Amino acid sequence: MKEKHKVNWEKAMPFLFILPCVGILLAISIFPLIYSLWLSFNSWELAMGFPPEFIGVGNYIRLFLEPRFWNAMLNTGRVLLFGVGSQFLIGLAIAILLDKLIRGRTLITTLFLLPMVIAPVVVGCTWRQIYHYEYGPLNYILRGVNLSAIPWLSNPNFSLSSVIIGDTWEWTPFMMVVILAGLQSIPEELREAAAIDGASNWKIFTHVLLPLLKPVIIVAILIRVMDAFKLFDLVVLLTQGGPGESSETITYYNYLVGFKHFSLGYAAALSYIQLVVIIVIANFFLRFLRERETR
Amino acid sequence: MMRKWLSKKDDYWIILIFAVIGFLLLIFLSPMLWMFLTAFKDRGEIFTYPPVFIPRKPDFYTFVHGLELGGAKGILDTTIIAGSCTLISLAVGALAAYSLARFRIGGKNLAFWILSVRMLPPIAVVLPLFIFYQSLRWLDTYQALIITNSVMNIPFAVWILKGFFEELPSDLEDSALVDGCNRFQAFSRISLPLVAPGLVATALFCFIFSWNEFLFALILTRSHVRPLTVVITSLIGGHEILWGEISAVGTMASIPVIALAIFLQRYLVRGLTLGAVKG
Repeated sequence: MKEKHKVNWEKAMPFLFILPCVGILLAISIFPLIYSLWLSFNSWELAMGFPPEFIGVGNYIRLFLEPRFWNAMLNTGRVLLFGVGSQFLIGLAIAILLDKLIRGRTLITTLFLLPMVIAPVVVGCTWRQIYHYEYGPLNYILRGVNLSAIPWLSNPNFSLSSVIIGDTWEWTPFMMVVILAGLQSIPEELREAAAIDGASNWKIFTHVLLPLLKPVIIVAILIRVMDAFKLFDLVVLLTQGGPGESSETITYYNYLVGFKHFSLGYAAALSYIQLVVIIVIANFFLRFLRERETR
Repeated sequence: MMRKWLSKKDDYWIILIFAVIGFLLLIFLSPMLWMFLTAFKDRGEIFTYPPVFIPRKPDFYTFVHGLELGGAKGILDTTIIAGSCTLISLAVGALAAYSLARFRIGGKNLAFWILSVRMLPPIAVVLPLFIFYQSLRWLDTYQALIITNSVMNIPFAVWILKGFFEELPSDLEDSALVDGCNRFQAFSRISLPLVAPGLVATALFCFIFSWNEFLFALILTRSHVRPLTVVITSLIGGHEILWGEISAVGTMASIPVIALAIFLQRYLVRGLTLGAVKG
């Protein structure tokens, strides 16, 4: 009798070990998301004190007809294209340089990583000072080389670019460190063999290193693409989405709708659209990881 | 493995590369340096043209004033939240990672499902949680932020630690089990100390993430709990922006994470490249 009890206990162990993790994740992310799916089919204007009212796909229709939603999507697209794009190119360039270092590489890499270690809120404060039209150091430098000062944050033509520059400064180190790790996992012999065969440095890079780096680059870009949808802190600190709606990103717009206007049903629909996009990207990502694990 | 410096020509290359890297590093660090210097400037030096780079009479007035304006409360609250969140994520994450690595529970699907929670957009998670916490009267409490941040950290902890447990041979535990230990003792006394580097890396990331977190903090707190990121943002909201104080609080908020990053650089790089680079 006692023996049987002990065996069961031992069999239950794996489940007991994983229970807290699965329990918390279900309770604090999955169930709330199921609730917000239901919410997205309701109209719930909390600010006016009405209870939720079922309206079917009304929120989604309203969303697709709303120019401000498309503007926010477009801005997020720009962040993806220009922000993640330049993070990749600059990160790649620095990684190639760091790969050539013989000593001091770890410390120098860590120093490059500092922008992404500090809080995005602090990054925002810092760049807000740097972008200051009258007293900021950036415009001081521009005036110094006889260019005109740029209204970085107050002109709708520049506001989103300013956010993107700050974001690029913060996240280029991530691209750099991932690509650097990829470069270092490539055996030195491969490069030497190519060099002995008479390949130029450029040929070695495009024909040997880049193909081997491809999986690393894909993973890094997918991670950053998912992050770009979450861009929020810098927008709050630098522009609050303005002037007008010129630098409003999708997360910031969602925040305004949900927590300034308190249109909870509409905000839930908006967050579900994002969720669908992220799930599609995440599926690519996970499938890719899986294939590499089984290889 | 040391690459040799073959010729004079290579020497020049190395010097050139060092120079370029030094220049780039300067560009990358100068915004942080600007904030650090601004913290020591007085009002006249902040609002002037041409801008003052080096403060003439550096003192700690802005730091003291910044602490009074909510910085002290911010440091306390953020420490409580980030510390508790790190402990919870480590405990829950280590148990789950061990189960996934040793018993292959749920196969690959469960592990990937856990990872996918990490990718959820925070704004989508926080909206229903806001309503949920409101009904529990948990808004503006420590536990709301601790649990919400933990949910974002646990998947990451599971994935780092799973890798470490998988590398560990099971022989040691098996002999401990034969010697009369139960599974939990084998886990806590044998395996856990052996994955200490993994625990350090996990703790580092969970701490930095919850230390810097802003969106949840902004939405789930009001006046009772005031994390640093919220305090800094509210300082900017005033009609007269106190850049000196903001920079001082920003500097104080950055020192712990920068120190951790430098002391634990090896773990930082390993954690960041997790998933992207095999092994």
